[in-house]
Amino acid sequence: MRGEKQIEQRVEALLCDPAHQDNPLRPSLDELYAEFRGLLHQIDRVTRISDRYQHVSREEKLSLSERYQKQLRQLEKIARISDRYQSMMRDLNEALKEASTRDALTGIGNRRMLMERIKTESGRAERLNRPLTIALLDVDRFKSVNDAHGHEAGDKALVEIAHAIVTSVREYDLCGRWGGEEFMVIMPEINAEEAAIVVERVRHAVMALDIRAGDARLSLSASFGIAERREGENVSETINRADTALFDAKRAGRNCYRIAA
Amino acid sequence: MNNLHIDSTQSTPSIFADAQTGIIEMHGDSYPENSYELFSPVMQWIDDYLAAGECKLVLDLHLLYLNTSSVKAMMDIFDMLEEAHRAKRAVEVNWYYDEQNERVAELAEEFKEDCSFPFMITSLAG
Repeated sequence: MRGEKQIEQRVEALLCDPAHQDNPLRPSLDELYAEFRGLLHQIDRVTRISDRYQHVSREEKLSLSERYQKQLRQLEKIARISDRYQSMMRDLNEALKEASTRDALTGIGNRRMLMERIKTESGRAERLNRPLTIALLDVDRFKSVNDAHGHEAGDKALVEIAHAIVTSVREYDLCGRWGGEEFMVIMPEINAEEAAIVVERVRHAVMALDIRAGDARLSLSASFGIAERREGENVSETINRADTALFDAKRAGRNCYRIAA
Repeated sequence: MNNLHIDSTQSTPSIFADAQTGIIEMHGDSYPENSYELFSPVMQWIDDYLAAGECKLVLDLHLLYLNTSSVKAMMDIFDMLEEAHRAKRAVEVNWYYDEQNERVAELAEEFKEDCSFPFMITSLAG
């Protein structure tokens, strides 16, 4: 560049020097120099324009990448929040399901759960040709407990009875509150005679309950109706037979079980 | 400047925007099939309100469940508020939740994360 400047200065000095006024090379040199200056100017302009284009394109790229990054962050955040909403809904759903199949007072299964399970177990027993027995339990003279000691004592008794049933049945038996002071035990894989052994255990556990209401000790017992599922029988037929057997047990003096015919 | 009133449905919240007070209230769950259809009038209203004057804009939210597209719509709305806030406009969000459901508060915290304007998360006794 330094060399270029120097030659430009020398050419300009020569062109301006009056001593070379009549030199035959002077007009040609003058023309050539003017052309050179013009080209130089053009290169300058092209460079400037090109630089500007590059600048704009760079800016565009930056803003695009900025927008892309922003969208990406937003997307990640949406996914995160959405996931949390979904897990919240799933937990609520679980809680609802739990609430819809649990008895609120005793914490064991409710009638809905019992119906679901007895249907499943019935189907399974039919398919695999296995025994299945159910027992209905009704607390004896429960109304008098409520009348004599109040509903709070009655509720307390129901909670204790539920606990006594749960701890007396086999691990794979299923029990729930059928309604009021009635409970049901579903016993897969055993016949009525074997189920009677389980039922007797429950009956003794109920009798052994030590529940106080004020100064009084509640004397509790329960009656049971046992029904073994018959081949081809539907769920409500089995339940009806258990119910009839329970009625027989009540008629026979309570605090005992009867096996359905 | 008109008020905006959208009634709630089973899958959409009620939305009321008051042009006099500058308060937008939303109540309920939001899982519409088309969130754009639901929220674009709200965004339009916010745009108009911000352009129309200098008054404060307040969002009072009582939202429980939001589906994914509603989450996006809310984030877009918060972006609008953020922009207004950077332009020195007074904006504010109050996210109310039932004290029985703390997880809504955690979700509101997630929304709040990128917002530099006042964003309150307040529990209401159930």
